[in-house]
Amino acid sequence: MPQMIFVNLPIADVKRSRRFYESVGYTINEAFSDDTGACVVVSDTIYLMILEHAKFQGFLTGPMGDPSKATAAIMALSQDSRAQVDAFAAAALANGGSEPKAATDMGFMYNRTICDPDGNTFEPFWMDPAAVTG
Amino acid sequence: MPRMIFITLPVSDIARSRGFYESLGFTINEKFSNESSACVVVSDTIFFMLATYDGFRAFSPKPLVLPSEGATSLIALSCDSRAEVDSLTEAAIAAGGKSLHDAEDLGFMYSRAFEDPDGNGFGPLWMDPAAQ
Repeated sequence: MPQMIFVNLPIADVKRSRRFYESVGYTINEAFSDDTGACVVVSDTIYLMILEHAKFQGFLTGPMGDPSKATAAIMALSQDSRAQVDAFAAAALANGGSEPKAATDMGFMYNRTICDPDGNTFEPFWMDPAAVTG
Repeated sequence: MPRMIFITLPVSDIARSRGFYESLGFTINEKFSNESSACVVVSDTIFFMLATYDGFRAFSPKPLVLPSEGATSLIALSCDSRAEVDSLTEAAIAAGGKSLHDAEDLGFMYSRAFEDPDGNGFGPLWMDPAAQ
């Protein structure tokens, strides 16, 4: 099977976060979701496990951070086009997300920086396929 | 193109971390690596961008919190078998990582947990394909 990744992220309100992640175009796998967490399907290999604080803390042996204040990870998610990067950002901003810094355009790569309602930080990006494989 | 994810993680010593992640069986994409960062290739869709603290701060819109002081993510990676979950975890421990707790065995799912030398947390897991 192809390798899969499940990025567990802390959130305060699973209902609010489900709406946010659905608004940016992802689906929810209900088989791995419940009242305090949800499995966001980014692709057949990439998943975000959005977990309310108590559940997230349950997986940790150390302290939980507050991503609205400081972060220990930034997740860049590829998009198929510049327009798709902008559509992701627009949907996020219309649904409780925020954009803490300006877009970066390097020609072969274009990205924006978007936080979910809890401050988890994402970079939707497009990269010219020629720059990846060339 | 298939969707890709690049997760930027803070590390204190790029050379040490390169050695650590290579010991787990991952490769480094030199094209996206330099003295302050390294691109770890987990699969054709999954990548870790290791960044020095200064590099992370320059890139991040928010202050850096070290994962040992306030984790904001926990990365679970699928493995093809229980044995692969164990071998990945043992390789991590041998290379300077730390086991976080005992294996969890739910029958249809088997997982362990370790952190890299900087405290970034990982949970290798095997899930019975039939359960999915």
